[in-house]
Amino acid sequence: MTADTEPLRTSNRPPTALTVLAALATIITAYAAPVFAHHVGAYTPRDNEISANFKQLKFSLEARKFDVARRLYDEGALRKELRARAGGLPPGLDDGVRAALQRGDAPDAERGLMVFVVALARDLALEADRQLSAAPADARAAIGRKFLEAIWRYYNLVDFAVTQRNARAATTVRLAFDEAEGYVKAATPAPERLREPLRRIVHALTGVIEASSQSARRDS
Amino acid sequence: MTEGAHPTWRLPPAPALLVALLLIACAEISGASMVRFKLELARWARGTMLARPEVHGLVGVRDVDEQIMDEALTRFDGGLRLFHMHAEGMGTIIILTTMVAATWAPTPGWRRALVALLTAGGAGYPVGYLVWAALIPFRGVEDGKRLAEWLVWIPFGGATIVAMWLLVGVLVMRLRSNG
Repeated sequence: MTADTEPLRTSNRPPTALTVLAALATIITAYAAPVFAHHVGAYTPRDNEISANFKQLKFSLEARKFDVARRLYDEGALRKELRARAGGLPPGLDDGVRAALQRGDAPDAERGLMVFVVALARDLALEADRQLSAAPADARAAIGRKFLEAIWRYYNLVDFAVTQRNARAATTVRLAFDEAEGYVKAATPAPERLREPLRRIVHALTGVIEASSQSARRDS
Repeated sequence: MTEGAHPTWRLPPAPALLVALLLIACAEISGASMVRFKLELARWARGTMLARPEVHGLVGVRDVDEQIMDEALTRFDGGLRLFHMHAEGMGTIIILTTMVAATWAPTPGWRRALVALLTAGGAGYPVGYLVWAALIPFRGVEDGKRLAEWLVWIPFGGATIVAMWLLVGVLVMRLRSNG
């Protein structure tokens, strides 16, 4: 049976047209907006194992809970990755961080962790430069954007620590990063110009790693 | 021909009710399936994405790729969740609005048109989220969204919006004629 021919099948009295109109207006307001916007939710980038472990370590050091920090370092993803990349890092970095945690030397432990995270960001910038030189022209902007996001995720963790120790390098990295972002996020991207700021980032971060390693050797 | 105002509510046609209830049933099944097959679904989506690195812009560097994969998997899960939520909501909206149309439409022709638009639009729109989720592993987040928009969200969502405003127009006319 359709609505055209059906008899009255319910017994309750309908509300007035005005009431129904108000209800419809509410429904339209609630549903029309998602229809136009095609609401698909929001995505917030999450920490990976290394950045999460770094933050845990940092908070433990700030709270001067060195036994907690030592356990987090010994068992965490950061140390695992640090050991896996030991060949490309300053010699003795792992031992240095562990010794600093052992003797409760927060600044020295923080410096060691900073060097590692800066090295991660530098290696990503190097890889981005390498891939951009080999990528087809139409893929460069997308590749560059993804690498820049990854570089910033790491560098952002240690920006404050780098600024405290080498303000010029930190400024160089931030300016180069802004410039690089401009090349890939502009209305007309210019990814072919991306390699120059990436090289400046690599140069500045390499300087931070070397300077921190030298100061660690002097202190020891 | 204009019919007089009905002193009582009229039920929507049985096919419209059936579609609405089916939609709500699908919403409940999808909600249960998301929980029961969460791992399998994520594994399938991940495998499908890894088989298409160029579609997703994977570059072979863990620090870059893990974020791309995480976003795509989050969106995939979000698409399924949004289908579940919208299907539940739109099922109810179909019942409610087709009842209003059945009661207040001025002629049988108007009633048929309004009920058809509200039912088809309301049932089709949530399916867009399912289509989007299914397309993400094959076409990527943005391309999948573009396809879902043109294939489902715009036509069916548009039908619902048009029907809603027609219904508002019908009620305004009714108010004016009563006043």
